[in-house]
Amino acid sequence: MTFDWSVVWQHRDALMAATGTTILLTFATMAIAVPCGIMVAALRLYAWKPVRALATSYVELFRNLPLILVVYWAFYVLPIMTGLGLSPLATGLAALVLNVTAYNAETFRAGINSIRRGQVEAAMALGMSRLQALRRVVLPQALRRIMPVLASTWVSLFKDTSLVSVIAVTELAYVAMQIRAQTFRVLEMLTAMAAIYWLLGYPQAKLVDWMQRRFAVTE
Amino acid sequence: MNKSATQSGRTKAGGITIIRYRGVVKRYGDFQALSGIDLDVHAGEVVCLIGPSGSGKSTLLRCTNGLESIEGGDIEFEGTALPRDERELRAVRTRMGMVFQSFELFPHLTALANVAEGPRTVLRKHAAEANRRASAMLAKVGLADKAPNYPSALSGGQQQRVAIARALAMEPDVMLFDEPTSALDPETIGEVLNVMKQLADEGMTMVVVTHEMTFARRVGDWIAVFDAGRIVEQGPPEQIFDAPTTERTRDFLSHLGWTG
Repeated sequence: MTFDWSVVWQHRDALMAATGTTILLTFATMAIAVPCGIMVAALRLYAWKPVRALATSYVELFRNLPLILVVYWAFYVLPIMTGLGLSPLATGLAALVLNVTAYNAETFRAGINSIRRGQVEAAMALGMSRLQALRRVVLPQALRRIMPVLASTWVSLFKDTSLVSVIAVTELAYVAMQIRAQTFRVLEMLTAMAAIYWLLGYPQAKLVDWMQRRFAVTE
Repeated sequence: MNKSATQSGRTKAGGITIIRYRGVVKRYGDFQALSGIDLDVHAGEVVCLIGPSGSGKSTLLRCTNGLESIEGGDIEFEGTALPRDERELRAVRTRMGMVFQSFELFPHLTALANVAEGPRTVLRKHAAEANRRASAMLAKVGLADKAPNYPSALSGGQQQRVAIARALAMEPDVMLFDEPTSALDPETIGEVLNVMKQLADEGMTMVVVTHEMTFARRVGDWIAVFDAGRIVEQGPPEQIFDAPTTERTRDFLSHLGWTG
């Protein structure tokens, strides 16, 4: 068996652009899923009962569905439901956001619950509203505690973006598979893809380890 | 408890009534935590609430600023019944400082930022003004040099003094202390009590739930003895500590080894 690694170099521009899309998808998903996660967590904790139940249903639904199914669902069902013709990229983003928001909501809820009641009472005794107490006292502490969990979610998300390749989003996995199909260089392309994911993923994982130490809570 | 018993021998009784409790009832499910509390707190007075654990002292304090709601009776603050509306209640809370047994400093903020937080977020002061006020309050409790420290780097006594400064930064009309020294090492209790004594000397109106009988005897102007959700006796410290009129008060004090 002979290898021809030049195929990777020949397609470097396409691979670079695809890697860019993968990174963009990761950032965009988190940028939306963090505030949405906080909102859903707040709804689960403080909202009027029916709204609370709705938020809980959302979390339990999307946390327990395979992401790839959500991706397909977003591709086939979402346009029918909403009447919107979204691009594959936007559809993939929507699917990832739906999934990661559910995870983030649970992470934030756990973080908020871990802050003891006395902290909120101290804030309220100063005359703060519940929202002010949440924003100024509870969330800053909760964020520190859950930072490592959020970072782990981030690393998982970075790899899971490859799942949107099934709806032809031109991110790294999709483009690498396309090149493979055109050149029949299976091993080379899979290796190149693995190398790129790993080289980008490993520093992120190390960053997570560093954050675990940096944000250790001392009381 | 009849009305005359809430007044006789009261040195500062001429002052305005800041807090008036009348028939206050608090229930947790089937448990009656407070069964008809009558008590007045006058301007400039230090009122100490003493009694065994679980007798309702802390509960009454927490009802005073609406952290707990009441099921019966009235609590009046500066002549107006405690509002039920959240927004109005918040306005009342800004005029009552509260100090907790477990300090409850905000661990993610420095000592200075802890004290500046109320003026900044609630009173909407500019950062410079809030910090200036916070510095002054930290100096008042003798902790000017600890301004940049986080709570985790402070001793229990220092944390509680920062908590007192945090409450004072709101310029409250009354200070509520909920067993402020119960969670402290014996050697740091004194520094907190000294700050409280200094506040009392400056004329601050204070309601203090405490197990520190020496403090209650020396600094208190009026003592209320709690048992099983009722005030069994109230009066000036000389009466309570030297000539208690009820068996329950005598029992309680003798259990603490109080000899007068």
